[in-house]
Amino acid sequence: MKRFSAVGAALLLAAGLAGCSVKSDTGGTGGGEEISFLTFETPNLKPEYWDEAIKRVQAKNPEIKVKKLVAPNTDRTAYAKQLLQSGQFPDVMIAVAPAGFAEAGELYAWSPDELKDFEFPTANPVRGKYFQLPANTQTIPPVYYNKKLFAAAGITAEPKTWPELIAAAEKLKAAGTTPFVTGGGKDGFASSMILAGIVSTDVYSKNKDWLTHRREDKVKFADPDFTAALAKFADLAAKGYVDKTSLSRDYTATEQAFLEGKGAMYPMGNWFAAAADSKPHDFDIGVFNFPTTDGKLVVPAYTGGGMIVNANSKNLPAAKKFALAFQLDKAQLDQSVKADGLIPAIKGYTPPSDMGAVYQAGYKLYQDAVKQSAVVHAFRWETADDGLLPGMADKVDQAAQDLITGRKPAAEVAAFLDTEWNKAR
Amino acid sequence: MWPRVWHFLSFGAPGVLVYVCFVLAPIGISFWYSLTNYNPFNPPISYVGFDNYVLLFQDNEFLTALKITSILTAIVVVVPNVLGLGVALLLDRPGWLYNALRSVFFTPVILSSVVVSIIWSRLLDNDGPLNAFLRVVGLDPPGWLSDPDVAIYSLASIVCWQMLGFCVVVYLAGLQGVPTELLEAAEIDGAGPVRRFRAVTWPLLAPALTINTVVLLISAFKTYDYVKVITNGGPGAGATATIAFNVLATGFDANHVGYASAMAIVMLLIVAVVTAVVLKLLQRREVDL
Amino acid sequence: MRWVRPSVAVFVGAIFFVPLYLVLANVFKQGARIASSPMSLPVPPTLGNVVAVLTRPDQLFWVSLTNSVVVTALSVIVLIVLSAMLGHYLARTRRTWTRVLTLILLAGLMIPPQVILIPITDVLRVAGLMTTLQGLVLFNVGYYVPFGVFVFTGFIRGVPVELEEAAVLDGASRTQVFWRIVFPLLRPATASVMIFLGVWIWNDFIDPLIILGPSQGTTITTGIYRSIGQYQADLGSVFALMALATLPVLVFYLALQKQFVKGLTGGATKG
Repeated sequence: MKRFSAVGAALLLAAGLAGCSVKSDTGGTGGGEEISFLTFETPNLKPEYWDEAIKRVQAKNPEIKVKKLVAPNTDRTAYAKQLLQSGQFPDVMIAVAPAGFAEAGELYAWSPDELKDFEFPTANPVRGKYFQLPANTQTIPPVYYNKKLFAAAGITAEPKTWPELIAAAEKLKAAGTTPFVTGGGKDGFASSMILAGIVSTDVYSKNKDWLTHRREDKVKFADPDFTAALAKFADLAAKGYVDKTSLSRDYTATEQAFLEGKGAMYPMGNWFAAAADSKPHDFDIGVFNFPTTDGKLVVPAYTGGGMIVNANSKNLPAAKKFALAFQLDKAQLDQSVKADGLIPAIKGYTPPSDMGAVYQAGYKLYQDAVKQSAVVHAFRWETADDGLLPGMADKVDQAAQDLITGRKPAAEVAAFLDTEWNKAR
Repeated sequence: MWPRVWHFLSFGAPGVLVYVCFVLAPIGISFWYSLTNYNPFNPPISYVGFDNYVLLFQDNEFLTALKITSILTAIVVVVPNVLGLGVALLLDRPGWLYNALRSVFFTPVILSSVVVSIIWSRLLDNDGPLNAFLRVVGLDPPGWLSDPDVAIYSLASIVCWQMLGFCVVVYLAGLQGVPTELLEAAEIDGAGPVRRFRAVTWPLLAPALTINTVVLLISAFKTYDYVKVITNGGPGAGATATIAFNVLATGFDANHVGYASAMAIVMLLIVAVVTAVVLKLLQRREVDL
Repeated sequence: MRWVRPSVAVFVGAIFFVPLYLVLANVFKQGARIASSPMSLPVPPTLGNVVAVLTRPDQLFWVSLTNSVVVTALSVIVLIVLSAMLGHYLARTRRTWTRVLTLILLAGLMIPPQVILIPITDVLRVAGLMTTLQGLVLFNVGYYVPFGVFVFTGFIRGVPVELEEAAVLDGASRTQVFWRIVFPLLRPATASVMIFLGVWIWNDFIDPLIILGPSQGTTITTGIYRSIGQYQADLGSVFALMALATLPVLVFYLALQKQFVKGLTGGATKG
């Protein structure tokens, strides 16, 4: 039977009728309201999390049938690309960066009316339109720290300025503690967290559209301000505040290392709060904003992370309905806050009051920053055409690793980024 | 005897057809892509001639990948071959002990490279068992997978570990084909074990050497899974990125299918030339012996 | 001095065995103890990890196992049939054209799958076979046919033509002769083709990842890869899944062990 439907699908294709979502296993039956939904699994987001979320939406919209797909690793954007290129583009995808897909006309652009319940309806624009539901904000990276190790090293106040951070790191090092916990391995982003913080607070605070300007060739990575940010990071590594040997540690092991007290400070996206509040550790965890040079309040964050919908979906109305229902459901939002520490960007939503201390602390830091309009984009984490070119995030991670190992000086790394940028165009 | 056309159509054609569809035609398509700027996210496609190839040889990333792949291939072709011969000579005895050991050596061959990668990334972790052991004996271990100058050798060792058993089994089969009478005759003539090996055993192992070398060569060139699962090409730019890894990163992650195809075609040519030369040399040697 | 060889052999084997021990020990160890003491013996042993994998609510293991078994079995069967026949053609027809064909096929042995993966998805899409098990099987057949041919051709050359001709004189058809008389003589070759291709296809990673896509579920190998993202905090499950995934191939290998080495070396010496 499958073979026949496969041949049927082939004929459709040959006639140029089929769009991008060939699902030969469902073809022939008409499909009804079935949509495919690309998810991903992390230690926070387990299979059950997705199954329950889908069930919740279906309880209210029983006509929608959902086929859950799972990306094979956390890089679901790369996987969505592979699926598009191999003709299997899903109908709905969550937390997949819209850049690239949107320009190629593969994504549905949400109307202002559909975005009315979202707090930042104009977040992550691509060519002036909005393709990804701006469902939540992530602050990247606040600095989580081990209060026990801080106390043991005689650090009494949370660092606010860069010199204070350096002083704290020096004290920690003197006390025999690794100041910063970093990682890498297959999860390169764990290597570039500190760099993301430095670039966001130093470069973006002066020019919040820096990457847009990079796209327009108005600025370069080799410009003095960006190179200075690279050098600042290289300096941390050169002083021994970052452990070079941790570069082979993948993300989960990195998190584990911090929770086991193998380092004092852990600059990481605020999704770590969920783990901090739920996983065992024998010390208190505090959190402070990524310190800026002079102590001025600048908080890197990015709003997006929501669903994108395949513009050529066979069941576009159902796909749209599912996406909105999923993102706006109160119970689902509560779950996402609990499981993944997200900060939902939905009007009138407040996180459950029984959230853990680390989450609450991080949430407050962000709310204060919003009140003082001190939020800038988080470098490397932008997902629209205000972000890095496709494939560049990996290069930034590699650049960060080269700075940590000291294999290349800042100027050479800046040149490398410019070269790769030109290739990525 | 057989009507030749009919013989081809009934026996030869089905296999050839599938091969043409899924290997030759894709190579042709790949070559065509390599002459274009094909980017599925950035239509239209336009013909750019050999521009991609010109760019390729000015591209540091590609040249580094070429170097990394060569280092890896050299190690993976030599080490399991040499060690495999040693182990085969050691295990070339009857008895349950040697049988059991043969199975131990062969087991990694049947493991998936993803499994092997997971095992070894735990073993070689900075706080992993290997380093714990080395620190106990008073050594200061390097960052096996975190030091960009060491990581590629660690990866190569992992591949060697997995391939060793293959070489052992092939050499053992070769050793079983060495007639005992010849060895006994040589012993009567007063030849010591080393001389017996060089004069009798080694020449008869020539076919085994050929198989091992070719299989190792091919597997080494293809190295992708280990890189993807263990290092993702790092630490740092290009430290462990093989050509195979870069082809998929460029084609699927950065969307530059045209450029990635040029890489693929160059890689294909290199693999073909190197394998052909090695095969020729080894077979000539077999004949000479 | 008779103890020297066994002791050296055991010592070398033991060192080589360490990574395998890591898996065996941790499959039966309590999850929480794996990260802190990966090399310790699993005392007290637990079946919790294995049970956890087998009873996953999304049936990852069982779905993957089914997919892998179907894909591997179908691919290997088709491969044996096609490459034995093609091998017969090449072995029996000695002309320039068959020599060229052999070379082209041999060249296929060296092609890294990554090189042709992107266009293969195009070919499969045009055929409407993308994201299907049939598509993956067909790709496997095309990609591995050179290896099968490589092994079979050498072996068939060792089978006297006279044998076939005599049977034909007795009135049997050519095809009957091949399957009833020649093919049974190729047992060692068939065994080595089965083992090698079975193992390679079972363990294949990037091809099923892309060709099968997510909608058909994973194969064993892509399933392991996927589960490490979620499971890494739960190492016990990762090790259990790895061990369970390997078990079928291990059994398969041990069953065919004796035959297959003979097949591989036999083919190469004569080919």
